Amino acid sequence: MDLAALKTQLKNFVQSMFEEGVLDNQFSQIQALQDSTNPNFVEEVITLFCNDAERIINEINRNLGYQNVDFSNLDSYVHQLKGSSSSIGANRLKLACANLRQASDERNKEGCLQAVQLITCEYCLLRRKFQALLHLERSIVELETNQK
Amino acid sequence: MALTLPLGEASDQDKWDNGGLERKRQLLIEIVLRSRLTALMVDGDTTCWVLEQELLRSYGVQTLGVDNGRDAIDLIASDAAFNLIIIEKILPVLNGLEVTRQICEIGMRCKMLAVTAYSGESERQAFLATSVDVFIEKPLDLEHLVPILRELDRQ
Repeated sequence: MDLAALKTQLKNFVQSMFEEGVLDNQFSQIQALQDSTNPNFVEEVITLFCNDAERIINEINRNLGYQNVDFSNLDSYVHQLKGSSSSIGANRLKLACANLRQASDERNKEGCLQAVQLITCEYCLLRRKFQALLHLERSIVELETNQK
Repeated sequence: MALTLPLGEASDQDKWDNGGLERKRQLLIEIVLRSRLTALMVDGDTTCWVLEQELLRSYGVQTLGVDNGRDAIDLIASDAAFNLIIIEKILPVLNGLEVTRQICEIGMRCKMLAVTAYSGESERQAFLATSVDVFIEKPLDLEHLVPILRELDRQ
């Protein structure tokens, strides 16, 4: 596939993520911050975010595994996940955090377990799409480098 | 001194498409800063403060980030000065509200912007009572940031 076609494929792929509600306009701002002085910014941020999100989701699951759940601890994790999701533009994941927050506020362990299942699904979807996005980005960089 | 965004030399260096530079101009509001401003980011979440730092750096603001409230207080108590502090409500070690109170007690005068994942009215009022100037939900957006930068630049 030639460079122009790859770029179009990437652009369309990102657009589809917006249309599906997986991403919101905040992600466009992150893309805009990437330039020749900071050429890997999007990949760096996505990697940071995914590492943090996985750690937080694991901690949430660990907390919910205890008979007596520490809901204030849970609140901190939800807060952090919602904050980073909002900041990267992970729209559906951000919205999924609201369910967990509500269940946690109500001290409803069963509700929390259901909510964290949704969060896990949304995160896995997002991660798959981010991986595809970064694969396209790397292909473009490789092609551009070979052409120089 | 007219400060512009680091736009790069030509669109063929842009990784997205030929319209990428124009898109950047549209997405990142272009402002002219005469002064060299400094900002401190206080957030336990790495993703958030990396993004906030880069956003501020794109406007030429010198930035420093810490990931807990205690380090923020220690920095300010050691006479480090900043034009702007961006602080999260929930922090490791010392929470954001307590950090802003202690900053006021130390007597440091600067713009303070609280940016947090969930903002309730009671939290908003508590932060504004400690002299935080603006209290918003994440993400840090240009509609709030640009007027603050312009105001700091005028001072």
